[in-house]
Amino acid sequence: MTQLGFYFDQTRCTGCFTCSVACKDWHDIPAGPVNWIRVKSIEKGKFPSLFLAYLTMSCNHCADPPCVKACPTNSITKREKDGIVVINREKCIGKDECGFKCLKVCPWDAPQFKNELNSKMEKCDLCLDRLEKGQQTICVEACPMYALDVGLMEKLHEKYGVYLEAEGFLNNEKIKPSIIFKPKKSN
Amino acid sequence: MRNIKSDVDDNLEKIINTGCCHDCGGRCVLKAHVKNGKITRIETDNDEEPQLRACLRGRVYKQRVYSEERLKYPLRRTGERGEGKFERISWEEALNHVASKILEIKEKYGNSAILFVPGGGNQGMLHGVTPVGLMLNQIGGYTRMWGIPSYEGALFASMATYGTMMTGNAREDLLNSNLIVMWGWNPANTVWDPGTSLWLARAREKGTKIIAIDPIFTDSAAILADEWIPIRPGTDTAMLLAMANVIIKENLHDQKFLDKFAVGFDKYEAYVMGDEDGTPKTPEWAEEITTVPEKIIRKLAREYAKSKPAALIAGWGPARTAFGEQFSRAANVLCAITGNIGISGGYASGFMRAYYSRESGSSVGKKKEGPIKQSKEEIKPKKPRPQDNLVDFNAPPRKDALYKLRGGTNPASTRIHFNDYYNLILQGTKGGYPADIKMAYICGTNRLNQCANVNKGVKALKSLEFIVTHEQFMNPTAKFADIILPANTFMERNDVAVPWLGSPYYIYLNKAIDSLYETKSDLEICRELSKKLGIKSSLLDLPEDQILQIFTSPRKDIKSYNKMKKDGYFKVNVEEPFVAFKKQIEDPENYPFPTLSGKIEIYCEHIAEKNNPLMPAIPKYFSHDEHYDSPLAKKYPLQLLTPHNKRRTHSSLHNLPWLEEIEPHAAWISPIDASIRNIGNEDLIDVYNDRGRIRIPAKVTDRINPGVICVYQGAWYDPDENGVDRGGCANVLTKDEHSPGGAFPMNSSLVEIELYQKVQRENKE
Repeated sequence: MTQLGFYFDQTRCTGCFTCSVACKDWHDIPAGPVNWIRVKSIEKGKFPSLFLAYLTMSCNHCADPPCVKACPTNSITKREKDGIVVINREKCIGKDECGFKCLKVCPWDAPQFKNELNSKMEKCDLCLDRLEKGQQTICVEACPMYALDVGLMEKLHEKYGVYLEAEGFLNNEKIKPSIIFKPKKSN
Repeated sequence: MRNIKSDVDDNLEKIINTGCCHDCGGRCVLKAHVKNGKITRIETDNDEEPQLRACLRGRVYKQRVYSEERLKYPLRRTGERGEGKFERISWEEALNHVASKILEIKEKYGNSAILFVPGGGNQGMLHGVTPVGLMLNQIGGYTRMWGIPSYEGALFASMATYGTMMTGNAREDLLNSNLIVMWGWNPANTVWDPGTSLWLARAREKGTKIIAIDPIFTDSAAILADEWIPIRPGTDTAMLLAMANVIIKENLHDQKFLDKFAVGFDKYEAYVMGDEDGTPKTPEWAEEITTVPEKIIRKLAREYAKSKPAALIAGWGPARTAFGEQFSRAANVLCAITGNIGISGGYASGFMRAYYSRESGSSVGKKKEGPIKQSKEEIKPKKPRPQDNLVDFNAPPRKDALYKLRGGTNPASTRIHFNDYYNLILQGTKGGYPADIKMAYICGTNRLNQCANVNKGVKALKSLEFIVTHEQFMNPTAKFADIILPANTFMERNDVAVPWLGSPYYIYLNKAIDSLYETKSDLEICRELSKKLGIKSSLLDLPEDQILQIFTSPRKDIKSYNKMKKDGYFKVNVEEPFVAFKKQIEDPENYPFPTLSGKIEIYCEHIAEKNNPLMPAIPKYFSHDEHYDSPLAKKYPLQLLTPHNKRRTHSSLHNLPWLEEIEPHAAWISPIDASIRNIGNEDLIDVYNDRGRIRIPAKVTDRINPGVICVYQGAWYDPDENGVDRGGCANVLTKDEHSPGGAFPMNSSLVEIELYQKVQRENKE
């Protein structure tokens, strides 16, 4: 099956949040709880022996996405042609009525909800609108450090290797997230 | 007058090539998607490499342009200064008011009573301070200021040591370094020309070791460096001296280089080894001052001296201190001692401009560019040119200025140091200042917030007869104005931007949308105001494009103005990456250094002439009255740092939700300092000293040296009825003085903190 996914170079990410602001601008998402791409910092150690890494996380468009199975209204589907997991917001019944079923099964908090009654799920769609025009995702084009890439998983493997884990990210072999890394190693 | 017909309105989405032009370390490409005259989305450079990718500060621009908080109409103050009460008036009324006040004050007190307060918050070649300066020149001049809070110490040191600001290598040359030392330098947050962090990452991936020295475990120290050496603020010079001590003692210095290219090494050696004052500046001596273990100082000294070519990059932050120029001078000298200057992979430190600057247009690239033969006697009265400010024209050089050197600093003695600005207003000629100020013309700056000692600033601004400002938002400074002229943003006008530190490119900012509401560009404002001031003809009257062509014409490397305009940028093809002083090292006969001696001045004769013991001719370490070892430290035991954070450009972009949520404003303190004061993470604390008090949440983190508190500069001053600043503006606490070389002591304040209120935890669960 054809599968698009992410590469993230954790050794380069300086935690600048440009990807996140670019994403909010492109998809017109107001400030608040909805973040299609999130930047997490991982701090370890005590002064002066410290470790800091950043991890960007959007939706990993898993090979076997648990959210698809969990959704009571089948509003989440995985596209045959490129493996992108998409949400049909017209079918989604909203967080309060459903009880966050998709979010509860996602290890990476990809499903996002506004702080409004029964708001519907939204999440990274790999910039489908851009993809259809042959453009890269907005986060990849935004990253000042060239730390992100999006492409066919086999191509990403060829280009970047096969690291499936990074600081702050544990692989889940069952659901197979479509993301590989250049991890930053703590000493 | 509004534009009758918009030239960009269209039902179809268009992409307008423009750029980001705030007073930050970047100048980056923005591509604004515009539909029906409205910006819908922003992209950045996705064309040929090297791309000039914008950071979050540019990507946020849609939110800034359409912010509900934009100033929409001219305003006249109705309440007290600072209260924020205004009424809407027409442009005609506003400009008439401003013109009549300017003319009245000029008539009554003379032009020196007019203080021009410029800033880089809304810039470009054509906008921001340029048209205001031109206009005020034409009515006979104004009192102006000197000194830039960001870099005055580094600039002075650069001029004293090298006679130029052009001391940086191109970023791609970092790939040729064996070792990079980032000293108080955090490009991951401050950018320093687009691509800087990327080149550092690439150098490291290629095998270059990177070491960061900083009181904070910054993003740069954490992500870009292999090793972090925490240091006590304001003591960097002591560590540099100790490194020199080790290098000289172990004979690791480059004597041949020093003999050929430098003057005064013997005098520096005498000071560093202790022959001059009986105190050898050993690593043990420095350990006590800096808190850096002597072993680490020795190791770094050896590593730097033996890793040639090595790049020691001295940031501007450690030079924003009480004796800031001494840090930059000591760093420059260490580069010279190890012979790391003028070679690929090395670095001269200094001001760190590379490739192009206002200087390079006239001097770099020409033969015989130094030594400069100009003496005090040669300064004779000149005839004023149209661009001269008559108030400081023909004034004798100010005290301690390196007036014999070309470029970089303007030595007119009528200029007042920016950190003396409030004393000037409050004391005037009675206090020994050269003018009695009656009005302030403020443009492109939230100066009250961004100058030291805000509470004194409040008094000073309240004492003036008249204040006018061009502003985009109702920031703390605007609240003190009598008339606010609403300025547009760079999305609403055409302009050209020059890179910040001189990377080889230019940005053309195409107007993306019409000016919103009743806002006008600085150029439009000055055109209309000039007429009301009785200025018959002005350069500003020319069509915008023609002025831009005049301004860009000396820059011969813009091969096609039209291409620049069409693409939104012009990337200059350079044959090889710029290496500062390459010619001076390869061909010293024909290319002396542009200093008085023609060499690198470890000992600077020009400084020696000043005979100021606090501005020695060789770099030295000094304590001062707000240092960690001063008597005041008993009362105020914490050292305050006020650096840039990742989400603001100074005080611009402060009020934008997309950025605010990324990093809420908080004071960084170490768990050691927090726990002895019963302070927990996110608790509301007061940070205070004799100058003022701010209230701010605490961020308790191991990422900062114990004994240090960090309040990122730029948050907006917001006093309560007792004068406590709830906005957390760092400059409420900083000191309005300056070093002999002009450095701003923004990182040299002592403070104490106390718990104000425990955070309400229940909401958090």
